Amino acid sequence: MLLSIKNVTTGYEKAQVLKDITLDVEAKEIVALVGANGAGKTTTLQCISGVIKPWVGSVSLGERDLAPFAPYQIVAMGISYCPEGRDVFANLSVYENLRIGAYLIRDAKEFRDRLDRVYSLFPRLQQRLNQLSGSLSGGEQQMLAIARALMTNPDLLLLDEPSLGLAPILVESIYNTIQEINAAGKAILLVEQNVGLALEVSSRGYVLEKGEIRLSGPSPELQDSDYVKASYLGIA
Amino acid sequence: MTSGERASYIGKIVVGLALYIGLLMLMHTQLKGFYLGVMILFGINAIVCLGVSITNSYTNIFSLGFGGIMLIAAYTTSLLTLPVRYKAQFLHLPLWLENAQWPFVPALISAGVVAVLSSVVLVLPAFRLRGHYFILASIGINIVMTNIGINFRAWTHGPFGVRNIPFYTNVWWVYGILLLTILFIVRLMHSKFGRAFVAIGKDQTLAVVLGVNVVQYKIYSFIIGSFIVGIGGALWVHHIGSMHPHVFELVFVFQVIAMLAIGGPGTISGAILGAAIITFFTQLARPVQEGFSLFGLEIPPLIGLIQVLIAMMIIIVMIYRPQGLLGRYEITWQTFRDAITAVFRNTKNQTSTG
Amino acid sequence: MGLYLVQQLINAFSYGSILGLLAVGYTMIYGILGLINFAHGEIFMIGAFVCYFLVTLYHVPWVIAALAAVAASTVSGLLLEKIVYRPCVKRKAPVLTVFIASFGVSLLLRFLFMMFFTDRRRAFPIPELFEKMYFVGEIAIGLRDIIIFVSTIIIMALVAVFIKYTKVGTAMRGVAYDAKTAELMGINSIKVIVVAFAVGSALAGVSAIEYGLTFGILNPAMGFIPGLEGFIAAVLGGIGNVPGAMIGGFLIGGGEILFVALLPPSLSPLRPLFVWALLFVILFVKPTGLFRPNVKFEGLWGE
Repeated sequence: MLLSIKNVTTGYEKAQVLKDITLDVEAKEIVALVGANGAGKTTTLQCISGVIKPWVGSVSLGERDLAPFAPYQIVAMGISYCPEGRDVFANLSVYENLRIGAYLIRDAKEFRDRLDRVYSLFPRLQQRLNQLSGSLSGGEQQMLAIARALMTNPDLLLLDEPSLGLAPILVESIYNTIQEINAAGKAILLVEQNVGLALEVSSRGYVLEKGEIRLSGPSPELQDSDYVKASYLGIA
Repeated sequence: MTSGERASYIGKIVVGLALYIGLLMLMHTQLKGFYLGVMILFGINAIVCLGVSITNSYTNIFSLGFGGIMLIAAYTTSLLTLPVRYKAQFLHLPLWLENAQWPFVPALISAGVVAVLSSVVLVLPAFRLRGHYFILASIGINIVMTNIGINFRAWTHGPFGVRNIPFYTNVWWVYGILLLTILFIVRLMHSKFGRAFVAIGKDQTLAVVLGVNVVQYKIYSFIIGSFIVGIGGALWVHHIGSMHPHVFELVFVFQVIAMLAIGGPGTISGAILGAAIITFFTQLARPVQEGFSLFGLEIPPLIGLIQVLIAMMIIIVMIYRPQGLLGRYEITWQTFRDAITAVFRNTKNQTSTG
Repeated sequence: MGLYLVQQLINAFSYGSILGLLAVGYTMIYGILGLINFAHGEIFMIGAFVCYFLVTLYHVPWVIAALAAVAASTVSGLLLEKIVYRPCVKRKAPVLTVFIASFGVSLLLRFLFMMFFTDRRRAFPIPELFEKMYFVGEIAIGLRDIIIFVSTIIIMALVAVFIKYTKVGTAMRGVAYDAKTAELMGINSIKVIVVAFAVGSALAGVSAIEYGLTFGILNPAMGFIPGLEGFIAAVLGGIGNVPGAMIGGFLIGGGEILFVALLPPSLSPLRPLFVWALLFVILFVKPTGLFRPNVKFEGLWGE
């Protein structure tokens, strides 16, 4: 078990968001975390990456409880979080964004290798290396955000709504890339409002509603479930 | 209000007023010299703090320019009240100004009016600026005004300043004006002005969206604050009897900010508490600064010690209690009632368990 | 007249260097922390005093004393960050609170030094080497001015390279833009902040040495005006923008000297007004400064 969340209740300041959720991700699998807006999906990812801490329960990477660690330390342990909203460093170029992503890498050769791998996944970025990332299109920014997250060579990649606001063609392209990333050996926890898409690509899924896990199971089962079909897939 | 409530309301006002006047009479007759001066300074600082708090705290326009405004107000009242002989000898004024010998109240009000006018002229253009640019500009106003004060010798007698300003200020004036100011602010805060100010202070964008004419109310808050601050400056000048360009410099501005920050920026009692703490500390610690002997040890004068200690206070408060000592809490009649009931409850408990 | 102007031009470069270094320090710290470090001028002052005391009291060779002064400024800045600013940041203090605190530190340091050393002006130690003059026609150029200007340019170039091309420098720009996201890249933003403070404060120390060499005097209040003018230069250059601050420094410093040079002597007390007049003009024409600021939100309150 790579990542394990056990009975976590948490929220922001005094507002509780998540209630007693249990979730896990095995190495090299894609797990979908789906739900409506405001269900608590981003909160879950923030809790994993260390931005907020669980009030009750634990988040563990392998055997290690992540509670005492700050976000920058959790990154070093192999979890990389790509937040929603494509938060690229708009004042820096594409290359510089990737450079920052690789902050923890000491070895020049390793840096080059990762860069090459990222270029092969996102050739568009290689074409725009010196362009200010603030001037990229939405799709390109999303690519950059994911690429940047990959530069830390994580074992587990947390993706928050990668399809948000993108045209369908771009979404398809990004999802293909997501599968390529997974094929290269990385586990992915995929948070999406677009439930159908997420379940297509993942092997297992969790449905989050109002801060609680309502359903979980292998993705094909969820896709077939009447509840999911009615509530999320728009199929009566 | 029922007639019973009205009666008790009037009764409270009468009692309160009587107590207040009684206190003032006590001060006037019992305190002499140094301590009287301290109380007067406290009163003036409280007035200035209240004025600054309207603009800086309630409406959240963090302007540091009030030093320059006070400077102008102080010189205004000085020029209107200085003996003609003095003005003729040291300054080059237009004839009507040179011969002006105004009584206290008109001079005071003129100081306030001039303060308002100058703040409108000086600070308003800076409203276009955001955040730290505005702060920078407001600091600039102080420095520019001080500089003008130093160089505009015809009217200000340069860095030497002016003397022989009539001593009009006394306990009654200061505390009378203080009471008026407090009452005014209480009234203000319960009016639509006050609500607008607080709305702007809490979230300016939201206020705009809610239909508050932000620019207009910011101007109002500025005008009101400047008027009060100008009065404070005038009172000061008529207490000390002299005025020079460095009086209301950045160090003074910082002291006022410290008063507000320590006491609690958003409340009347916070402003007064802060003024009290800083004023009493500054004045009473002065002898220490001048050097004294402790148990036979000669401690030399340490000029600047007071500022150092105030600065330390402010830093500690900012780190550990940034909302000030009182925070959002306002001392009202309710506070006294609660305190009294708390005391009675405690004594009752003690006797019953004892 | 032309000769006098050229002579003053040389002084303009010196004062521009001094302010430029201060401006870069200000802008780095503001860019990273959103904090106007009011005490920057006092860090400057501490450097000057350390150099002074080392040379006059302990007879340390001047070069060593100068280096020690830069180190002293750096250490002061780091202590300041650790003792005052970091607790504020940790408690997520609103910007105004930190601003008031920094104002407090500035006054505290200034009056502390005044308490112990009185505010009388002391003579800054200037080695004889710096008194050497070269003559180009009728214009006198001091070795001092050359060294100041050249070393400033070199230092600024190094800083620019550091900011733009090194990993830490890029990380600094990232943290300045969006610290939370930077943390998600594994960057310990506190370490980066410390680096910013160290570099900025070191530059203030260098600036102090240059100031001492140029004006020959020091006193506890010496940091107030240069500090303020350095801050204005930083604002002028676009807050958070390091090259902008460098240029801003030269514009303000050089401009002030030339302004006074062009002014009839009777008006020279109006000298500080030039800087403020320039600031007001610039802020009305282009409120964000001459160059592009390097922060996500330009206002203090995320406007």
